[in-house]
Parts: sequence; structure tokens; C-alpha cells
Amino acid sequence: MNQFFNTEQQTDEQVFTVSQLTQSIKFVLEQTFEDISLTGEISNFKPYSSGHWYFNLKDEGAVINCVMWKGLNSYVFFKPQDGMKVVLKGRITVYPPRGNYQFDARSMKPAGEGELQAAFERLKRKLYEEGLFDEIYKKPLPPFPHKIGLVTSIDGAALRDIISVASRRYPICELILAPCKVQGSGSVEDIIESIKLLNKHKDIDLIILARGGGSIEDLWSFNEEIVAREIFKSKIPIITGIGHEIDFTIADFVADLRAPTPSAAMEIATPDIELIKNNILSGISRNYNIILSQLRNYRNALYQITNSYFYKYPLDRVRNYQQQIDSSFYKSSQLIDKKIHIADLYLKKLHYNLKLYDVNNMLNRGFTLILQKNKFVKRMKNLNLAEAIKIKFFDGEIEINNN
Amino acid sequence: MAKQKSNISFEQKLKRLEEITELLESENTSLEESINLYEESVQLSKECISILEKAELKIKNLKNEMKELSIKDLNNNE
Repeated sequence: MNQFFNTEQQTDEQVFTVSQLTQSIKFVLEQTFEDISLTGEISNFKPYSSGHWYFNLKDEGAVINCVMWKGLNSYVFFKPQDGMKVVLKGRITVYPPRGNYQFDARSMKPAGEGELQAAFERLKRKLYEEGLFDEIYKKPLPPFPHKIGLVTSIDGAALRDIISVASRRYPICELILAPCKVQGSGSVEDIIESIKLLNKHKDIDLIILARGGGSIEDLWSFNEEIVAREIFKSKIPIITGIGHEIDFTIADFVADLRAPTPSAAMEIATPDIELIKNNILSGISRNYNIILSQLRNYRNALYQITNSYFYKYPLDRVRNYQQQIDSSFYKSSQLIDKKIHIADLYLKKLHYNLKLYDVNNMLNRGFTLILQKNKFVKRMKNLNLAEAIKIKFFDGEIEINNN
Repeated sequence: MAKQKSNISFEQKLKRLEEITELLESENTSLEESINLYEESVQLSKECISILEKAELKIKNLKNEMKELSIKDLNNNE
């Protein structure tokens, strides 16, 4: 019976307390998996307002809780999305109060180049389907931008290139710099803040969002959804000049215009000052020619007028009329003269005839006339001796009164 | 006349120049008007060209308490 109470073997056997066991597990796990790489697909990704990230990593057969602390996740160049395959570096930690274990990630990388490309394509498709790339939303660029906002790094080569293009092509514009980080921790928020800041200034005509060349990781901030949405929201037209000619980012698709490089963005944004000068000069010489030809036309018209027959011999018409008048006058005066002559002849003849019958001639020759009551007494029988008789002589009259 | 015009912006001046050229090309503009327009355009183009020739690029940093920078300042940062 005693053997039932034989505890010889059991005296070697250790009885763990929960804490002891957990501590042992913690020790074993944390020692064993102190510095490992872990790959899987992200799910249930939750960025907390504290800045820490909580998510699961899973594959076909298993799932593990993961955490990535604020200070470390800021070095992740992309915002993780559910479904993205990543490689984490870190360790297993055990949290005794809750008896669970989790993976404490120190770094996160996409599981391969293809993974980033896939994330890029996913976002591109999503935004495309939402219409963010539609032509109808593309704002027209001002032909003569007065103030150009620049969203880029203050000490990047991109900024120097942009400034040199602006001072060569269009130095009358003003550059308003809203500097920002263009890669790494905080760059996404920084880019967004700069675009917002410029949009608060109502007089900015155009924004150039630029970054020099780099790897796909370096350019990744420009592939983030929130950057794309901020570009879409901007009231001011945005030209992107990101990376090299072959690099396309989501920002490029949303922007009102995509330029292949930062310098090209400024080239597109600004008119060439030399070209404007030439245009002004050729415009002026064109205007000058217009005035000249106008003057020439007027001069010709004037010349035509002053050389017209009428203008040259203004009295001709008058003279013609005069001649006409003269000749008709001549004709009529001739006729009149003739008529006068005939009348004259006729008058002379009458006069002569009259002379023949003139009483005075008879009286002169010695005949007398007898009048009674102022009437000639032509026959003897008409003479009334009882009345006064008047006798008319050539040289006078006498009256014989019989009473 | 030049003083009066100097208030308007470079872009407006350019626009006015284009307008004048169109007016000059139009048949409906009288000779007298044309000559006035031409004088105006000569004046404007002189102003524009002088603006272009005197232009110096101004750069302002918004996040640096609106401090004005020049190209030199930026180059010194290199």
C-alpha cells in the first residue's frame, strides 16, 4: 500500500506555478525567437491613434498577433494594407498577464518587388474606378503663372533644378516653397500638410509636387492613398515631377499634369521668357506693318482722288457750260439782231409812208384845213356858216366867229 | 499714359497687347483709332520687355515664417 504513497519519483517532479510556467515559456520563446524573420499576409491592420500598429500575420494554416511600435513603424516607407505580403523582422514576446504571445516587429518590408507593384496596382485600380484620374477633373494650367507653389524637399537636387529652370525661363514668377520630407517617416503627412498650406493661399496659381529620382521605396510616399486624395482635393492645379522619366506614381495619375522630372515640371509650368519677348517684338513689328499698310492704302486712295480728271481740271465742267451758254447766247443774239433789222426796215417803210400822208406837208404846201366843233369839214355841204370856223394853217390857226 | 498702365499686371498687359493686334487687324478700326492703339501697344510692349528684363526670381519659404529667400541662400545650404 505504501507503494501508493511512494513519492520518490515525484519528489524530483517540479510543480510549476502559472507564473513560473509562463516565465519559462517566455524565456524559452524569447530566447529561441529573439531575432527572426517572419513572412505572411497582413490582416486586420489597425493603426492606433497612439501611433502603434496592431495587426495579424497569417498564412494558410496559422495566424499570429503582431505589434509594431510607433518609433519603429515610422521607418516603414509604405502604409501596410490588408492582403499585403510582408517580411517582418523582430522577436516573439510573451505577455504574462494575458498569457499570450505576439510578434514584436522591428522592421517591415514587402515580401518582394511584386508585392509593392501589386499594392500599387490595387490602389491604382481603386482610385481609377472612383474616377480620381478622370480627365474631367484635370484643371487647366495657367498660361502665365504668377505664383508657383513648390512641394518638395528644401535640400533636394529637385528644388535646385526647379529654381534654375524658373530663373532661366520665367524669372518674373514667384516661387512659394512649402518644404516637406519626400521619403521616410512622416513624409506622407508632410506632403499633405504642404499641399493644404499652399491651398490656404488664394493667390497661388499652380503647385509643383516634385522629388528627384530614387528607388520604388524612396518614391513610395507618392503612391500612398491619402497623398493621392489630397492632390485630388487641391483647388490649385498640381503638376507632378517625381523621379525619372520611367517612374510613374499614383500621384502622377491624380495630378492635373504629370511631368517626367522635376525640371520638366517647371518647364511645363512656365512660358519661356525669350519666346514671350520675341512674340512681343514680332507682334509690335506686325502692328507697325499694319499701320504702315493702312497708311499706304489711305495714301493710295487719296492719290486716286487727287489724280482724278475732275480733281485735276476742276474748271473743265464750268468751261463746258460756259461754252454752251456762250454759243446759245450767240445764236439767240443773232436771231434777235435779224429780227430787229427786219422790224427796223419795216418801221422805216411805215415811217416813209406816214410821211407821205403827213398833213403838215399839205399845210406846208399852202393847203389849209377847216374845223368846226374840232372836226374836219371835208365837204362844202357840211359847212355851217352859223357856227365858228377854225382854219388851220401850216404856221398856225385862226378862229372866225360869225356871231 | 505709362503711369496709368503700370498698375495692371504683366499678364494683363500681354492680354491687352493681343487684343490690340486683333483690333488692328480688324477692318472696322479707323485710322485714327489704329494709330492710338499702335502707340498704346508700343508703350505696353516696352513695359513688358522691361519687366521681363528686370525680372529676378523671388522665392518665399512658407514654413520658415514667411521669410524671403534668395537663390543664393538656397545655394549656400548645399
